[in-house]
Amino acid sequence: MCDSCGCGGAERLVVEVNRSVLDENRRVAQGNRRMLREMGAVALNLMSSPGAGKTTLLERTIAALKDRYRIGVIEGDVETERDAQRIRAQGVPVVQLTTGGACHLSAALVHKGLHGLKGIGEGVYDLVFIENVGNLVCPAAFDLGEDVKVALLSVPEGSDKPAKYPALFREASLFIITKVDLLEHFDFSLDEAERLARGINPDVEILRLSAVSGEGVGSWLEYVAGLAEGRRGIRP
Amino acid sequence: MHELFLVQALLVQLKELCEEHGRSKVSMVTVSIGKESCVVPDSFAFLFDAVKAEEECATGALLRIEEGEGRDLILLRVELEEADRSV
Ligand SMILES: Nc1nc2c(ncn2[C@@H]2O[C@H](COP(=O)(O)OP(=O)(O)OP(=O)(O)O)[C@@H](O)[C@H]2O)c(=O)[nH]1
Ligand SMILES: [Mg+2]
Repeated sequence: MCDSCGCGGAERLVVEVNRSVLDENRRVAQGNRRMLREMGAVALNLMSSPGAGKTTLLERTIAALKDRYRIGVIEGDVETERDAQRIRAQGVPVVQLTTGGACHLSAALVHKGLHGLKGIGEGVYDLVFIENVGNLVCPAAFDLGEDVKVALLSVPEGSDKPAKYPALFREASLFIITKVDLLEHFDFSLDEAERLARGINPDVEILRLSAVSGEGVGSWLEYVAGLAEGRRGIRP
Repeated sequence: MHELFLVQALLVQLKELCEEHGRSKVSMVTVSIGKESCVVPDSFAFLFDAVKAEEECATGALLRIEEGEGRDLILLRVELEEADRSV
């Protein structure tokens, strides 16, 4: 500081930065995107609140598609290997990432996951599924380098959720209503959920399914197969 | 609770700015938190003060928060100083 008046003098420098704090995450996400291209894979980022049925749907998807496509899975959780064990039991490569408390995956963590997948077997994939940490708010803010963001909402959670947690539903290219086998037990309105989601995100595709009864799973498998074969336009 | 991740990302930016401009102390940081960013300004400020010492240049930094539009969290400006050479 300047001794005579305390103004800071020439030593103080004000820099106008105007840069997003998320820039670094975006930069790493772009790296992930390049890496996925090199691996030849399409990546889906599955996001929902805890227990909406992400792992159950993945188990079913892998069982149906693993003979047709090379599938790798990145599991994000706050703690434990439990979801990775469930996926491993399906016989496909899986990397468990634990965030150590954080409620979302970041591009840098997923980057580690991609290196992990590359190191298993031949390291070549058609499809990479990223199961995000169960949370309806935070994951939406972080670009992971995925091709498709998928928002899942289960019937027991209630059909007002797209309005209450708009960030995720605004970002998603696909919205899946899960556990539709439970519709008769809850006051969930499919119309309301879909109307609210479209109000926030007019272009969003919507599927309804139950990973338990199998209802609607066929359309999802078709969607995934379309991605794997590059038939579906991927939103940048 | 993704404020911690963002605070840590901000600290990395502060370190890089100090290196870029040949300074060793940040005295003031101004950020704009978008209304739709899902970032709670109070949590962000609390965590910033709690962990800023992880980055030596930011140990004495004061944080100013402005409310912004949209979803982004933006580092608007920093005030950098030379380190106290007498130490
Ligand atoms: N009735 C019904 N139950 C389901 C369905 N899908 C999943 N479940 C059940 O819901 C519970 C949670 O399912 P998971 O697949 O573990 O949910 P998740 O989203 O992976 O959970 P986290 O990883 O903890 O966020 C389990 O008990 C599943 O058996 C479904 O379609 N119908
Ligand atoms: Mg799971």
